[in-house]
Amino acid sequence: MIESYIPIFLILAVAVVFGVVSANMSWLLGPQRPNRAKNSTYESGMEPVRTAHDRFSVKYYMVAVLFILFDIEVVFMYPWAVQYRNLGLYGFVEMVVFIGILLVGFVYVIKKGALQWD
Amino acid sequence: MTFETILFYVLALAGIVSALLVITRRNPMHAALFLIVNFVALAGIYLTLHAQFVAITQVLVYAGAIMVLVLFVIMLLNLQNEQDLFEKRSWRSYSGPILSLLLLALLLRTVAFVSGGSFDRISPESERIGTVANIGQQLFTAFVFPFEMASLLLLAAMVGAVILAKKRFP
Amino acid sequence: MPDIIFQSTKHFWPEITLALTFIAAMIFEFATKKRTTGTGILVLLGLAAALVQLPSAPSEPVSIFGGMYAIDPFSTFFKYVIIVTGMVVVLFSFQSQELKKESGHTGEYYCFIAAVTFGMVLMTGSSNLVMIYLSIELVSITSYILAGFSKSLRRSSEAALKYVIFGALSSGIMLYGMSLIFGLTGTLDLSGIRTALASGHAVTTGWSFAALMAAIVLMLAGFGYKVSVVPFHFWTPDVYEGAPITITAFLAVASKAAVFAVMIRFFYVAFFDNMLASTGVYSSFRNVDWSMILAVLSVLTMTLGNFVAIWQDNLKRMLAYSSIAHAGYMLMGVVVMSNFGLSAIMLYFVMYFFMNLGAFYVVMVIADKIGSENIDDYRGFGKRAPIISVGLSIFLISLTGLPPTAGFVGKLFLFSSVMASQFIWLAIVGVLNSVVSLYYYARVLKNMYLREAPDGDESPIVFSKVTSAVVILFIIPNILLCFFYQPVLTFAQRSIAILLPGL
Repeated sequence: MIESYIPIFLILAVAVVFGVVSANMSWLLGPQRPNRAKNSTYESGMEPVRTAHDRFSVKYYMVAVLFILFDIEVVFMYPWAVQYRNLGLYGFVEMVVFIGILLVGFVYVIKKGALQWD
Repeated sequence: MTFETILFYVLALAGIVSALLVITRRNPMHAALFLIVNFVALAGIYLTLHAQFVAITQVLVYAGAIMVLVLFVIMLLNLQNEQDLFEKRSWRSYSGPILSLLLLALLLRTVAFVSGGSFDRISPESERIGTVANIGQQLFTAFVFPFEMASLLLLAAMVGAVILAKKRFP
Repeated sequence: MPDIIFQSTKHFWPEITLALTFIAAMIFEFATKKRTTGTGILVLLGLAAALVQLPSAPSEPVSIFGGMYAIDPFSTFFKYVIIVTGMVVVLFSFQSQELKKESGHTGEYYCFIAAVTFGMVLMTGSSNLVMIYLSIELVSITSYILAGFSKSLRRSSEAALKYVIFGALSSGIMLYGMSLIFGLTGTLDLSGIRTALASGHAVTTGWSFAALMAAIVLMLAGFGYKVSVVPFHFWTPDVYEGAPITITAFLAVASKAAVFAVMIRFFYVAFFDNMLASTGVYSSFRNVDWSMILAVLSVLTMTLGNFVAIWQDNLKRMLAYSSIAHAGYMLMGVVVMSNFGLSAIMLYFVMYFFMNLGAFYVVMVIADKIGSENIDDYRGFGKRAPIISVGLSIFLISLTGLPPTAGFVGKLFLFSSVMASQFIWLAIVGVLNSVVSLYYYARVLKNMYLREAPDGDESPIVFSKVTSAVVILFIIPNILLCFFYQPVLTFAQRSIAILLPGL
């Protein structure tokens, strides 16, 4: 049973190795001759006056929340799609009701301009 | 040792180490990133328990969507000096770990008691419970009522997010 | 399976009406331009439509949707309380000045009232752990947003934030308890849990017993948070003070009713031996005195609520502590869990509805007029606004539980039910607590009648005819129910049938 997941684990391993290797390759291969001017934030510019961490707009948060909600909706569709043939029309109606209710929310979000970035 | 056992120990180790790192890192961003590692490790353990659907949800929803939200919130709050927020050690900072250990002992002992003293076998039923097909069957027959109610919950949450975050209404 | 759905839908129309009201109100909100009272009226009509369908509920308990949901007289009783409270809160909201400041999105406010009412109604009938969790979450999420609705007020946002943090924690704790129960019994169905425990299918000895106890304590903590039982009450004063006052009233009455209903159902169906209902035995805990644990919680709750209320200067905050104390009184009925105790809780909720909503209404109209909820600012009100003052006095006397008010009858039955089950000391503590509560309620009366306004101002404060009429409408039942409580009591006694396995 678990053996059938070996391809997935292989891909995971490749992904990790690829990420680690390519992130450190330049450090391994490139020449390193640091000096003070090179290490400053802007080599020939102004000294930074405060941290670069800035407060994010709350709009990102709203987009993220809406993304999660629709993501969960899609997760419910996955087992439904697998069982679609067995459930037949009955399952289809259930899903239509589910999506119909969420569609009201979607129209609301669009109408209220919640996804506009002005 | 079978391949499965080795896999389990690797994933369990990754899960525990990353969980410890989550609660000990003082930089919240680092803690959040280790939480992703923890989620992925847990997803792997779910797979070894044949709970495919939970594993997929864990990666898609938790490691994917929820963690995006967590990172956004950390950046939104942008508390400049998170590291100063750690309170001085008092009896409170010790009571948490002690209570956690007690709960762990209780759970381990219970599981061992119910499963006849052994931890290394998977119930034969779990082979079919966690498959996507079985969850689809259950969700759309026995649990169809909670399923439809969940859509209303999601709808309320959707409107709520818009109300809370939107400054001006057109 | 489709047959079961169609069969079940027949009994489910009040809930469907509420859900449709929520959706229709939302569509109305984005499809029309700036008619926020229109949404309110739509919601009001929807609630009324759900209410008129309640009397046709079957008189025998029915289990629908494959055991997910129970329709029984017990839940129907609480549905009446919840839906009527929802309607009253919508009517209050039409008049509230605080909400008019948020004119940009009051339409959503009414949508959420429909959603939260639906969630609470769903709570009263949930007979499966999944449904209990879903309905509690539906109510919680909407309540968080309603509590923070006055976005221009800092304290409202603070209330919402505290509510979210404590609420999320309590949901997590409750979910943990549910997962332990599921692990130990192998079922999510409340009747199934009862059968599993009784048949010995689930192991309830040794360590499993300890784990089961831990699970139930976690569940109790989760429920305790929602009805603000000490020591899980921290959020209550801040949230009640910060939320718009209409929402505070809603949370204090309807939310409590819903959580009490689901808590009673959970303990009664899953763990309670109804064969011994007159003496009160929690079947799975023969070697743990579960009633005693609940009794201690009840005493802690009412005592802390009453004593801390003494030091409050803000009337809204004082009513928050008073509602904690009332949760303690009502918990006494859960302690005994006898038929008498259950009907006493139900009777008390009817009385509580009239006295608490009346008090919150008066606080609302006075705050809209003078812009303050401070008890010191009520000085001289007895002369300046006689009707309102008389109303507030009666509501507060009723909350204390003195005759001739409805609160007296409510407390009388609650205390007698406890005494009938041999918890005499608990009844005595309850009475002593009522005496303490008289002290801080009387302080408001003293300010209104015995003290002059600070600047000697005796000019009358004019309230609209509608306001006076509403206050009088609330005074009448508060007095009448002291003498003519029999119909309500009969109705409550007839409504104690809870769905049990094998029925």
